[in-house]
Amino acid sequence: MAAPTAPHAGYEIPPPRTEVGVIGWLTANLFSTWYNAALTLIAGTALILALWYGLSWVFAGADWTVIAKLGGRFVIGQYNTDAACAGNNCFWRPQAALLLVIALLGMAWGLQGNPVARNIAVGVTVIAAAFAFLPYSLERMGLDVRILLLAGIPALGVGYALARWTPLGTGLRITIAGVVIFLLTLVLLRGLPGVPGMQPVGVIYWGGLMLNLILAVGGITLSLPIGIALALGRRSNLPVVKALCVTFIEVFRGVPLITLLFMSQVLVPLAFPQDFPLNSLLRAGIIITMFSAAYMAENIRGGLQALHPGQAEAARALGLAGWQTTLLISLPQAIRNVIPAIVGQFIGLFKDTSLVYIIAMLDIVETGRTFILGNPEYLQSAREMFVFVALVFWIFTYGMSYVSSKVEESLGVGQR
Amino acid sequence: MTTQQLPRFLTYQNIPLWRHVLIIQWTAQIVSAIVVVALVVWFFANVSNAIQDRDIPFGWSFLQREYQTPIGEHFIPYESSDTFLYALLVAITNTVIVAVAGVILAIILGIVIGVARLSSNWLVSRLALVYIEFFRNVPLLVQLLFWFFIILALPPVREGYAIGGFLYINNGGISMPWPLPNNLAMGLIWTALALTGVVVGILLNKRLSRKETETGQSTYPFIKGVAAAAGIAVAAWLLLSLLAGESPFFLSVPGPEGRFGRIAGGFTARAGLLVLLVGLVIYTAAFIAEIVRAGIQSVGRGQTEAARALGLSPTNTLRQVIFPQALRVIIPPLISQCLNLTKNSSLGGAVGYTDLTNVAVTMTQTAPAISIFILIMASYLVMSLTWSLIGNIYNRRLQFGGRR
Repeated sequence: MAAPTAPHAGYEIPPPRTEVGVIGWLTANLFSTWYNAALTLIAGTALILALWYGLSWVFAGADWTVIAKLGGRFVIGQYNTDAACAGNNCFWRPQAALLLVIALLGMAWGLQGNPVARNIAVGVTVIAAAFAFLPYSLERMGLDVRILLLAGIPALGVGYALARWTPLGTGLRITIAGVVIFLLTLVLLRGLPGVPGMQPVGVIYWGGLMLNLILAVGGITLSLPIGIALALGRRSNLPVVKALCVTFIEVFRGVPLITLLFMSQVLVPLAFPQDFPLNSLLRAGIIITMFSAAYMAENIRGGLQALHPGQAEAARALGLAGWQTTLLISLPQAIRNVIPAIVGQFIGLFKDTSLVYIIAMLDIVETGRTFILGNPEYLQSAREMFVFVALVFWIFTYGMSYVSSKVEESLGVGQR
Repeated sequence: MTTQQLPRFLTYQNIPLWRHVLIIQWTAQIVSAIVVVALVVWFFANVSNAIQDRDIPFGWSFLQREYQTPIGEHFIPYESSDTFLYALLVAITNTVIVAVAGVILAIILGIVIGVARLSSNWLVSRLALVYIEFFRNVPLLVQLLFWFFIILALPPVREGYAIGGFLYINNGGISMPWPLPNNLAMGLIWTALALTGVVVGILLNKRLSRKETETGQSTYPFIKGVAAAAGIAVAAWLLLSLLAGESPFFLSVPGPEGRFGRIAGGFTARAGLLVLLVGLVIYTAAFIAEIVRAGIQSVGRGQTEAARALGLSPTNTLRQVIFPQALRVIIPPLISQCLNLTKNSSLGGAVGYTDLTNVAVTMTQTAPAISIFILIMASYLVMSLTWSLIGNIYNRRLQFGGRR
């Protein structure tokens, strides 16, 4: 075809082939300059080598039997051992708790109807149900255990239906349902003396991921309000309140959590009367919550400080009382602005639940560590074990930051 | 009921007492103070009861007693016959050394990864993202245990790996060549002279930089500063070698020794220290990388454009315009990461490193726990405050003169 001698309507010269498409993207993003090209080559080689060795280790080199060997201990620790639950099968209790949690997730999905809640609810149900089809045994895994795992699917449906088509479907009522379910879970796991099938199980036998999750949920729920109170106290113009809050925050932020946890084990029995009902789980929970609340307070204080003083002044000028200004004007905006920091703190709290090893509680990490130290023949399998544990943690923490980014999106942070 | 009908003593300037802001505030303060004081008194009463009734030891005389327990890793000389006080000092040194080394390495790695995250190179920035998202989201303890068990699963000393005859890797740690002084006095003198050289280099750099800013002439401040420092160090080395007949330092190469093939010479980074340091650096660097990225991104695009329009080179734009402004955003969270690293070093006990917390936990078996904990909390608070102080001083120097 002859080249046109003059441009005419509807005819545009296409951009050079080196500027668009795959080649264009490559030149712009990978080979724009000579040092970028060198960087790409080095990084690419490193990536290919890492993938090659990593994947060949995962599929050929690694011996994953250690995961199957521990199986349910990763999930519930020693909960179902003879020491904890003599002569009975207690595995149905954590499973029933899981069903309650799935129902709650179903409620959240039914209320919100948004894809994030749906993804989480369906994801948890599907993963739980998938375990029912494992070929090998998971903690005395009989048919009953598999059926209870599959029961997550109807539980999800019930939760969804309750939120969708009954008066339960308001945010406040579902929040109350969440608190009730959390307490119910604790009762279910602890047991009730005298009730058949509900023999008490000491908290020292609670363990595995279950323990991490209980501590994290309790800690997250309580550390936010305590942190808000501390932040407000620190900014208050009442000298006594302010001094108390500053002392609390700085002491808890200045000392490592593991030191505080160990101290709680040694000192709390001294600081309370001898018969005071404060078991190791409660102690760990209180310390983790307080520790996290101190950090939370600083995050929220940052949000409050970043807020333009005009907001509070305008609220006061409109005739709102001091507490109304704080609760209705300042706090909502401050919290919205520091959501990433707050969720970061939640993630930190969840990761910190692994530190309960110092008070001899067998969470998912400590379960693995004690197993390897007690069975040196599995020393070579420690890599597989901790890669697995790391992945479990990563799924939860990454899920939390995913939810946080979605919440931020829906609140329009950074767009107003 | 209106104010006029109220009895006189219940009103203040015609406001009922229970609605008066001063009264409410002071009541709140007094009530909260009473509650807290009551709680504290109750705790102390319980503790002192426990000390008396249950015969729980308390006091400070133990500090002068012999500790009688070995401390695995120590950087200052330590024997089991040393006192508790000295053992605590050893433990504090251990924690401080890990904290300082960890902070320096984590900042370097963090800056590299943070800058890589902002790279225009797609592959590099994605790799940095994967690094950050993975290591930030997995508990430090899990990472430490992973490295710990990898080292533990290595072959023992005699069957360990020897790389090139100077690097020995086994389940005890890594041995590497290390400079050692031929003569302690000469070594110290040379170190002092070399440090003087560094100071001279920095001063020269500052002076030349100022001249460059004032006159616009190229003075090559960085190259000349480094050259001055290196020149002084080399000159001191040659002079001391001539005077003493031997060089101030020699390179000690490790090698197997004796019947059991123990590795002697060089520097051996033992498993506990190595694992703790590697774990802390990798973990903290992921957080620092995010801080660095956010800091650089916080400097508006207009700053770069204005600097380029004024004729600054890309390097100078980064060095003199972007970085000083980014540092203001970076320093406060960076300091809190330094603090976190110091506190996280308390996980050393899980990987066989005798840090402050680990030693303290062991001490509670033979000494009063309450006293130990008071000392430990004070030590950590002092370390935290030191980091905050360094950060605040540096931060103040970075602020604009006119802004405060």
